[in-house]
Amino acid sequence: MPISTGTVTEGVEPGLPPPPLQVFSTRFARRRFFDVAARHAVTAGGVIIIGAILAILFVIVAEVYPLLRPAAVKPLPPVAANFGAHVLAIDTDEYRALAVVVAENGVHVVSLVGGAPVRKLELPALGQAKVTAVSAPGYRPLALGLSDGRVLPLGVSFSGARQASGRQVEANVRALDPLVMDPVGQPIRRLAYVAHEGGSVAAATVSPKQVLVVRVAEETSLLGATTREETRRVLDVPSTGEVSTLAIDSRGDHLYIGTTTGELAHAVLRAKELRLAPAKGGAKTTITVLGFLIGDRTLVVGDQSGGVATWQLLPGAEGEPELVPIHAFPTHHAAVVTFSASRRHKGFWTGDGAGELRLDYATTGETLLRIPSTTESATAIAYSPKSDGLVAVGAGGRLLQWDIDCPHPEVSLRALFGKLWYEGYDRPAYVWQSTGGSDDFEAKLSLTPLLFGTLKGTFYALLVAVPIALASALYASQFMHPRLKAMIKPTVEIMAALPSVVLGFLAGLWLAPTIERIVPGIIVSPVVTSALVLMAAGGWRALPEGWRSRLTPGTEVFLLIPVVIGGLWLSFACGHWIDRALLGGDYRVWLREILGVTYDQRNSIVVGLAMGFAVVPVIFTIAEDSLSNVPPHLTAGSLALGATRWQTAVRVVLPSASPGIFSAIMIGFGRAVGETMIVLMATGNTPVTSWSIFNGFRALSANIAVELPEAPQGGTLFRVLFVAALLLFVMTFAVNTAAELVRLRLRERYRAL
Amino acid sequence: MKDFWKSGDPFVWLTGAMLALSLLMVTGLVTLVLVNGLGFFWPRGVERLVLDDGTVVVGEVSEREAIPAPDAPLGTPAEYRLQVKRGNRDVEGSDFLWIDEARIARRERPADVVVLERREWGNFYGEISALRQADRAVATGPAEAWAALEGRLSEALRLHEEIFSIEKGEIGANNHAQERLRLRLRGRELRGARDGAEIDAAHREIASLQAAYQQSVERLTRLRQGQNERLVATIAGGREVEIPLDKIVRAYRPNRMGAFAKAGFYATKLWEFVSADPRESNTEGGVFPAIFGTVMMVMIMSVLVTPLGIVAAVYLREYAKQGPFVSAVRIAVNNLAGVPSIVFGVFGVGFFIYTIGGTVDRWFFPEALPTPTFGTGGILWASLTLALLTVPVVIVATEEGLAAVPRGVREASLALAATKFETTWRVVLPAVLPSILTGLILAMARAAGEVAPLMITGVVKLAPALPLDGFFPFFHFERKFMHLGFHIYDVGFQSPNVDVARPMVYMTTVLLLTIVLFLNLTAILLRNRLRRRLQVSAV
Repeated sequence: MPISTGTVTEGVEPGLPPPPLQVFSTRFARRRFFDVAARHAVTAGGVIIIGAILAILFVIVAEVYPLLRPAAVKPLPPVAANFGAHVLAIDTDEYRALAVVVAENGVHVVSLVGGAPVRKLELPALGQAKVTAVSAPGYRPLALGLSDGRVLPLGVSFSGARQASGRQVEANVRALDPLVMDPVGQPIRRLAYVAHEGGSVAAATVSPKQVLVVRVAEETSLLGATTREETRRVLDVPSTGEVSTLAIDSRGDHLYIGTTTGELAHAVLRAKELRLAPAKGGAKTTITVLGFLIGDRTLVVGDQSGGVATWQLLPGAEGEPELVPIHAFPTHHAAVVTFSASRRHKGFWTGDGAGELRLDYATTGETLLRIPSTTESATAIAYSPKSDGLVAVGAGGRLLQWDIDCPHPEVSLRALFGKLWYEGYDRPAYVWQSTGGSDDFEAKLSLTPLLFGTLKGTFYALLVAVPIALASALYASQFMHPRLKAMIKPTVEIMAALPSVVLGFLAGLWLAPTIERIVPGIIVSPVVTSALVLMAAGGWRALPEGWRSRLTPGTEVFLLIPVVIGGLWLSFACGHWIDRALLGGDYRVWLREILGVTYDQRNSIVVGLAMGFAVVPVIFTIAEDSLSNVPPHLTAGSLALGATRWQTAVRVVLPSASPGIFSAIMIGFGRAVGETMIVLMATGNTPVTSWSIFNGFRALSANIAVELPEAPQGGTLFRVLFVAALLLFVMTFAVNTAAELVRLRLRERYRAL
Repeated sequence: MKDFWKSGDPFVWLTGAMLALSLLMVTGLVTLVLVNGLGFFWPRGVERLVLDDGTVVVGEVSEREAIPAPDAPLGTPAEYRLQVKRGNRDVEGSDFLWIDEARIARRERPADVVVLERREWGNFYGEISALRQADRAVATGPAEAWAALEGRLSEALRLHEEIFSIEKGEIGANNHAQERLRLRLRGRELRGARDGAEIDAAHREIASLQAAYQQSVERLTRLRQGQNERLVATIAGGREVEIPLDKIVRAYRPNRMGAFAKAGFYATKLWEFVSADPRESNTEGGVFPAIFGTVMMVMIMSVLVTPLGIVAAVYLREYAKQGPFVSAVRIAVNNLAGVPSIVFGVFGVGFFIYTIGGTVDRWFFPEALPTPTFGTGGILWASLTLALLTVPVVIVATEEGLAAVPRGVREASLALAATKFETTWRVVLPAVLPSILTGLILAMARAAGEVAPLMITGVVKLAPALPLDGFFPFFHFERKFMHLGFHIYDVGFQSPNVDVARPMVYMTTVLLLTIVLFLNLTAILLRNRLRRRLQVSAV
């Protein structure tokens, strides 16, 4: 009698429950239970495992997503405050607990969390004077321009301590020695001030067309006595307009002047004689804001009509530094009035008279955030030291605050793949340089040179591997003796199993120096060796029939091994001769002088050969399979019609197996794209973009292996490396899937034949 | 001639030549590695080269090459130069020296040349003249000094061994215990307990451990005072140097060795290579920790990958409803085998280390934070990453096996009233066992040779401790480990002295190749046997 076991009975009696079994019922129930349990367990396990494997993509995407997520801003409740006068500047501490506010009537400290009243600081040095100008606050010292012609530098620092009740932050503001800019005592209209190692520089205007520059040099002698030397200079501005803004870089080297006619002038402060470089710019409207980004190489220029642009000082044609416009950002709806740069990255806020605030990123030229006009326009803003918040003083005296979530401002699709104009470069470029020496180093994270490197390495590897692998596969499948083939295939499979670290090691330490000696030989070897093989084939035909019949057809390969060795030897000898006779003895010198190409020891020839070695077995195995699987009646028919074995192979077998060969090459491509150790060890790993076969490159995969251990988790570099991994994943997965589909269709076709 | 081209034979020969080239490449590569690696431990004779200006160089001639002369007219016979390994890095600054053959006036092999393998500064080549203990000469003259050296070296080595075992064993165990107590105290503190009997006991225990530590240190000092023997030796050029006996690992006189002695020496060196710890930033000594790390990682990976692969394959082939969805999953799993290994490594970093490891740290090891326990690379994460990397291999192999089991076998079992589970477990899986084994071996071979994903998930150039030791819980899955493949990369490319390290890298390569090729050959043989058997059973 049939025993119900789910599977068997289902087909027999659909819909009917199996009759309960009387005999051995407990045991049967247990077996049945196990069966059902196992079914569920295997199904669940299988689904989970397969899901986990396929989850790789999602995990990588999840790590990449924060990079491209748009920045977000969240308004915080405003704090009511009254400073009693027009506010000129504001600064805040890194926890955004306090703000130091400069108003016309003096300096105030106010709590940003609310609750405490505004505290006006006692500054005896201020005296009866009013504050008429202020230098840009932020990472440089704050200085006040006074109505009596003096400049009062302030030392502002915040000290924080964590206490049980929360974080307590204290603002310490102390006045430094004032500088007398204008002995006559006219009020200061515009001011720029920096303190640098060994002194400070202030530039100020008291009249529309003149800039006063005072440099203080302080020197501490060995005995501890400090000498203080003040130099004062007056600079006439040769412009039709009046001076509207001033800025000095933090080293005190360069002075920048904006005018009411929209011109931008620049003077080298350390020069013996102050000389204004020709004014630049064609905005024709008053420049209202001049400010530096971190590192003091990029100048942000805002004007009366709302235009915002970045400029850089680059070496010009005659070696003189020259101001060059880099990016123009979207225009504000009203005049730009406020500016605050990040102290962490190259982003900066600008605010216009209508109250709109905007965060732009200088390197990418992209706008990250926009805070639309509020009811009151901001008269002063401060980007918090950690770049996680913005504080503004409204026209009505209220303190407005926002939380800013923008962890990776420097990354956008354009930054990853496009050309960017980095600071200090004379033109936009694709650059990968993730770490640098100095603190204000800007990471350059263009993946294009790495992608280029990957594709270059793959190209040269396939250039080597495809001819060798396909010809070998054709020979093995069509002409080789079957018994010999049974031996050859495992050998090639062994070749596939060689760890790539071994290939990379040999390529880097043995092949690279060896190849360096025989480059001309390598280049002529395909021609010379082929010629020798053809001569051998011809010679073989000339031999008497009796000799020839000794060789079993399909074992020519044994004869060919010495021929190939001889061919290679001959090529190297030829190469040596070419080097001596035609290239002047050292091909590297010849390359450099005649072709203008430099020779790296670890170059694309080395990678091509080593990675080609790794790819040959992959292509060979798949191509050989599809060539061998061509239905035998096709070949038999062709041979019966009088075609030679070569004609059969090329005209019948190759076309019908071509999809398989295509998929073999695709899979070889996938292998070469992702190969890590070989490219890591056999190239110089310099991210250059040159197709020259004599140069190295840096590939995506090697780059990940080198840089991921050093990248802090969750940081920009970390996530960009995940983008690199995602690229590799998508490239290989897509190519392999295409290859697999082609192969499946081929299999169908053979079945139909 | 036209016939010749028409016959197509030249093209056949050309394709054959390509195959010949492939074969040449494989054999050439293996030969290259073997020749360079296996010869390394064979003691080479030490030569004394007297140059035309009277300079004397003593060392092993390691290479001879033609001097590149781009300006010489064609046909001039090439001139050669020798690369001499003269050692004595502490005095000379570098181990190697190139000497033009034309400059050499005399070459000889003095019998008394001594080679000393040292713990620092590489090999010494030269002659020894005396052995001193403290300020007293124990033996003078080359022969006497050699005899005394042979006698005392084993004692010096034993002393060194003892000091090492105190440093590593006693003090190591002491540190380990103190660290555990410290972490326990910190854990209590995190939970709010600041005093109590248990905490007092822990403090007392720490104090007693400290006392024990002091004792060990005193013993160490006493033992170190006993290391007062020095060897007086002259290097080429006549300069006299003193070498403390405790810095010497091995002393031999290669020019006096017979073939038999050399073979014995070779065996000792080979044994040291596979069983000893590395010295001199991995360029000397052995690779035991790397072998151990590789093997342990592959084993953990196998333990993980086998059940995963089998369950997934059985599900796909036996339980899942066949249809376009399962075909798509199958293609996807197949293609994962082609996804670059470094991508798996990146996944391991993002998911295993930071997501899972970070969580484990927060839940179970809060007392050690901010030092990560599992939240950093380690052998477990490396093995898991490789398991994920190789699971498609096992799935594909198992599925192939399952597909090859004839339908009749399953139906027969079902007809005999076995449940589906029983059929799968008792009938199908045993028949598929060789396939599973093939897949597993291929997975192991791939895992043993893979380096890129390990570089970012837990391999280090020098691990302070093995992931398996005598301290509870014995298996330390969170530890970083060494790996043969990474060893090759590190020593070959990151080592400060690549020329000296190169033979060592070749030898490591031989070892790695042996393991990988052995596994692969086993898999191939197994598969061939299996195919034959299935062919028979299908008839």
